[in-house]
Amino acid sequence: MRRPGWRVEPAAAPRADRASRALAYAPEDGAFSLVNDYSEGMSVLAPGGPDPAFDTPWAVWRTAAGAARPHALAPAPEVEGYGVFTFPYGPLSMGVPEAGRFDVRTYGERVLNLVPVGGFKSRRVRAAVVGQTVVDAALRVERLAGNFSAAHVAAFLDAVESAEGRAVPTEEWWVRGLAQELQRIYNHVHVIARVAEAASQNVGLAQTHALAEEVLRTQGAVFGHRWLFGALLPGGPARRLDPTDRRALATRLGRLGDEFERLWRLFLESRTFVDRIQGTCPVARDAAVEWGAVGPTLRASGVAWDDRLRIPVAPYTDLFLPLPHESGGDALARVATRAEEVRASFLVLEQMLERWPAAGAGDEPPGSAVAPGRGLGRVEAPSGDLVYDVRVAAGRVVGLDLRSPSQANWPLFAAGMRDAVFTDFHFAFESFGFAFAETDG
Amino acid sequence: MASWIEQSVSRGILTSRYPKAAATDDETPPTGRPPVPESPATSLPAARDRCPVGAITETAVDQGKCIRCARCVGAGLSFSGSVEAATRSRSDLLRISAGPTPVPDGAPPLAGLGRSLHLFLVDVGSCNACNLEVLALANPYYDLQRLGIFFTNSPRHADVLVVVGVPTAEMVEPLRRAYDALPAPKAVVAVGACPISGGVFAGTEGLASALDGLVPVDVYVPGCPPTPTAILDGLLKLNGRDRETREGRR
Amino acid sequence: MTALLGFVLTAAVVGFFAGAALSVVRRDLGYATALAASVLWLVAAVGALVAGPVTGPSWSGPLGDAESLSLDGLSAFFALATAIVWVATSAYSLAYDDRPSPLLAFCYALTLGSIALLVASSSLLLFLVGWETMTLASYGMILQAHGRSGRVFSAAFVFLAFGEASTLLVLVAVAGLHAMSGSFLEVPVATAGALASIVFVAALIGFGLKMGVAPFHMSEWLPIAHSSAPSNASAVLSSTLTLAGAYGLFRVISLLPSPPPVWWGALMLGIGAISVLLGALFAAVSEHSKGLPAYSTIENNGLILVALGIALIARADGLAELAVFALFAAFYQALAHAIAKTALFLSAGYLEHGTHTFDLNSTHGRAKDADRAARLGTIAATLSLAAAPPLAGFVSEWMVLEALFQSYRFSAEWVQFVGLLAGAAVALAAGLILVAMVKFLGFSFLWKPSATGPTARARGLAAPVGAVGAVVLAVGVGAPWLLGLITPSVAAFAHTAVAAPVGSLLSIPDGWSILSGSPFGILSPPAVPIGLAAGAAVALGYFALGGGFGARRVEPWMAGSPPGCDGETYTSFGYSTGIRIMMRSVLQTREVRTGTGAGTRAELATPVSYNVDLEVLDVFKVFYDDLVRFGDAVAAALKAGIMTGRLGQYLAYILVVTLVVVIYVAAAA
Ligand code: SF4
Ligand code: SF4
Repeated sequence: MRRPGWRVEPAAAPRADRASRALAYAPEDGAFSLVNDYSEGMSVLAPGGPDPAFDTPWAVWRTAAGAARPHALAPAPEVEGYGVFTFPYGPLSMGVPEAGRFDVRTYGERVLNLVPVGGFKSRRVRAAVVGQTVVDAALRVERLAGNFSAAHVAAFLDAVESAEGRAVPTEEWWVRGLAQELQRIYNHVHVIARVAEAASQNVGLAQTHALAEEVLRTQGAVFGHRWLFGALLPGGPARRLDPTDRRALATRLGRLGDEFERLWRLFLESRTFVDRIQGTCPVARDAAVEWGAVGPTLRASGVAWDDRLRIPVAPYTDLFLPLPHESGGDALARVATRAEEVRASFLVLEQMLERWPAAGAGDEPPGSAVAPGRGLGRVEAPSGDLVYDVRVAAGRVVGLDLRSPSQANWPLFAAGMRDAVFTDFHFAFESFGFAFAETDG
Repeated sequence: MASWIEQSVSRGILTSRYPKAAATDDETPPTGRPPVPESPATSLPAARDRCPVGAITETAVDQGKCIRCARCVGAGLSFSGSVEAATRSRSDLLRISAGPTPVPDGAPPLAGLGRSLHLFLVDVGSCNACNLEVLALANPYYDLQRLGIFFTNSPRHADVLVVVGVPTAEMVEPLRRAYDALPAPKAVVAVGACPISGGVFAGTEGLASALDGLVPVDVYVPGCPPTPTAILDGLLKLNGRDRETREGRR
Repeated sequence: MTALLGFVLTAAVVGFFAGAALSVVRRDLGYATALAASVLWLVAAVGALVAGPVTGPSWSGPLGDAESLSLDGLSAFFALATAIVWVATSAYSLAYDDRPSPLLAFCYALTLGSIALLVASSSLLLFLVGWETMTLASYGMILQAHGRSGRVFSAAFVFLAFGEASTLLVLVAVAGLHAMSGSFLEVPVATAGALASIVFVAALIGFGLKMGVAPFHMSEWLPIAHSSAPSNASAVLSSTLTLAGAYGLFRVISLLPSPPPVWWGALMLGIGAISVLLGALFAAVSEHSKGLPAYSTIENNGLILVALGIALIARADGLAELAVFALFAAFYQALAHAIAKTALFLSAGYLEHGTHTFDLNSTHGRAKDADRAARLGTIAATLSLAAAPPLAGFVSEWMVLEALFQSYRFSAEWVQFVGLLAGAAVALAAGLILVAMVKFLGFSFLWKPSATGPTARARGLAAPVGAVGAVVLAVGVGAPWLLGLITPSVAAFAHTAVAAPVGSLLSIPDGWSILSGSPFGILSPPAVPIGLAAGAAVALGYFALGGGFGARRVEPWMAGSPPGCDGETYTSFGYSTGIRIMMRSVLQTREVRTGTGAGTRAELATPVSYNVDLEVLDVFKVFYDDLVRFGDAVAAALKAGIMTGRLGQYLAYILVVTLVVVIYVAAAA
């Protein structure tokens, strides 16, 4: 790991240290743990599998492929009592426009506990990519979670390149950054639209929904595909940005950024919107650290950690990136964090388009392989830290695992919903930006 | 509230003229159109091996399999087909033409329902892009309510199941329940390569068959994902209000 | 004719007591005799309403007065209401009671007899004898609950304590009446004054105790719900014991001077409104298939007081027309409730027979296995109690509300204000009781089939439920004519000639509609089913002309999950938790958790489980629980003495009372 922000240790760090977040991982060939040391601002990679004294099954980075389907995505205490029953919500409900179920234990009105149940839409992506060439595997990886495609492909490619020790042209890293920031804006705006919908803030919904569509159209205009499929695939950017393109894009993004500013100001003034998410589904800082929350969920609970800053790669090494974070830990804090990140992404995009590297500007060094033919790839996806562990041999993928941000955050959602009322469900759920697609695999 | 009104008014009318007018380029990026061979006899054999999903044969491009990956583009094919690529039969997806897909003669499946359609979205294993494209139809750019089309919260209130994703073994039963819960007359629209053919995941162990092996499918909307305009075209082909029918092009 | 009816009347009352005696020989014989006596009682009641007051053979009472059993207009109404109930409960009991001991049958017949006696008594003394016998006999019935646990005894004790408190207050009222008139015979008293007010308050509380109105409602639901009294007994207690209380109240008020002070009516209206609200609220959150109807009784008796209170205020204010209408409303409410509630308790008994539980959380199931008669009867009863047209409860609740709406006519502003508050309470209660009834119907009526399928016994239980359901419908649809039938009752209460509040509306024939004022509201109960039938005719016509049914059976849609996923379904408790949380300040809702932890990650590493209970509290229950504890302490102290807690002994008490009555009758003869 030659990149900044990583440290490799010969032996496992003491994991019961609550200031850090551990992620134990036990694949067939050699277990290791990944620890975010928040006090030091470093990621520590050390050998050693799950520590039974500390790592619950939920803290272990699992792959959906190994789990029984459908299966619980978060732990919950068992609750009994007079009139208490389980109310299954899903897998097909318009409230959650994705196939997944929530088992709500209740005596009516109140959620005594809530268990997200996943695995309904497991497309067996892991099985589908094993044996494929890297390029063909990437077609599947970008379709693992279409709205997070750029992040998934970027993490996947990072892992492959680390495993192969291959250097990548700087411009390609910039294209990956461009795609990821656009998609981050889309996803955050989409989350705000979904929360507005839950709050019946219908004018706000229409306006943000329209803005999200404009971002998709921008992506389509730049990369030829509204969801960026194919945009980052090996062999170079699908499309090179010449100066005219960059100017046009900068103008377009400037307009969208202004639009977002206006909308977000209106949202903050809207009582129907703010009141409904204030105090909803709180995640305390300690809980966030203890459970290993990632992304806006972690940052909204007061931990200023972002992979783009802590383990920076191009283009972030060269740009100013604000790191918004909040301390409330509630749905409002998560939504506000996302809104600030939208602004930050617009800012980053503006800088990128100004300082775009010349073609042939050189190569970026790859990350080191954790083992021969095996690499870790890691990016800050819209909903948080995304880790890919890929094994390659002779240009083909022979093993793939990933830990998605959704997987990391499900237990926090389940814990935050405990003792809430039914009607909080949608606000709480949307504020995390989950995708069953990326957990189910 | 006043400021929200001001905001809405200041943005003016965003809504697409589709299906009264043709789809615009802004609505349709290159991958929003089906790949069409420039000269079938030579292009197809040349491009065949490039296709990662086996959509290209010696004689045809199976749009139901195509994931619009663009690998064949530049090898004799180009994204130059019509946005209105939805078909009422699986075999029509194999037709080679740059024009809109014709609608077969005979009344469309839901002609009796007139203007209004009520949709229930069923995800049987998607990547979410298709779900979000279907839901994007509700945004002000497409505003599908202007066409009398609505989303419902239960299949009991719906006429149409809009199915996205590749059917996983786990979703076969929920899908059947949703189909049974639809009141007659009912219709099913398969949106995206996944439900039509399995798309990029076709053939993976543990997946169920393509959608038309599970429930009868009335309209196929190819794409990965299809653009909202393409989905709208598919929906309108259910009650005969699509552009081709309007313009007497069939 | 009237002489013959007099004999029928006497035969009926004697028949009940004979039934009690015969039950010792054979249980069935007791119930059959009670059934026969109920039919005679019905004949006498209808006869008295149609042909005028009926008097049986007379004898000279212990104080030298000539005494007889008689029915005037007022008592005939209560005879009619109780008779309908008893015909059903007696027939039901034949199939229901399978206890080896005849005690239940004995106490049952004795309760019926004593209520008949007090209704038909022509002197207040005889009324008191009937009253006290009724209290003791019904106490005996409650003790017959299954699983005679400590709860049964404490519930029975509360019942007895309230019963005796009630008797004491009734005694005060009777003594006051005697002091005012110098007679125990039922003669109207002309003089107003402090004494009259004392009599009124004593009667209101004394009889109110028996009606179970707030804050004395513990006497109503506790014995029924806590002890799970036998279902035939529950029906008799909840429908007719409370009717006996209402009768006493109506009778004493009819003897008091008119016009009364305005605060009488206002006090009654206030108590009634509180009862309505509390009864409905607790019914909505009750999970007991008999506790729920018992709470609903409190609500319904509250409605009687509301209507009667309006009538008294209207009388004080000189609003004759409103007074008469409100009285009709009060009577009709009493009738509608008694009948529908009977069906509901009998249904609860049927349910218990099929599921062996009173817990609404464990009775859900499939409707198609239930006996059709029981199903339809229960639907009619619950819908009527939820005031759905065109059923009896709808007509009576409409009348009560129409009377309430006219409280703006009252002269004193504070009384108008009381009327306003009462109106709000009744309206809120109407919503709550709807929740309660939907819950009963949805979670109990659609019950699991019994393991053995419908047995002969189940059919025997179902038939009376269905029959009473039909009466509920008839009492609703036929309201304009039944109001005519009970006009003598209102006249007897008011001591003046009155006319039933019926008239014409649009092209609906004259006499088919109820008018709540001139002009105020109007309702035509028969027009509703005619309209429904007309709608049905259109549908039938469609089928007759070849339209297909096109029915399709599909699973319920549960967001794609299989119905009854994990064997769990929505519980009855969950259905009303919203109310528990919304009304937490009144219900004192609190959540009790045992074995809970903080739910941290470390803790969840090992599976944890905890128990959660959402409890509601009836504030009055706290007081009465203390009372029970006190009573238990006293009982413990007296344990070696007379209160051994043994059934035989309580039976002996009842026999002694019976003996006293027999001696009294003999002495009179
Ligand atoms: S665009 Fe379609 S047809 Fe062409 S290679 Fe890709 S999948 Fe095959
Ligand atoms: S068709 Fe393509 S976009 Fe749609 S769900 Fe399948 S992979 Fe995703």
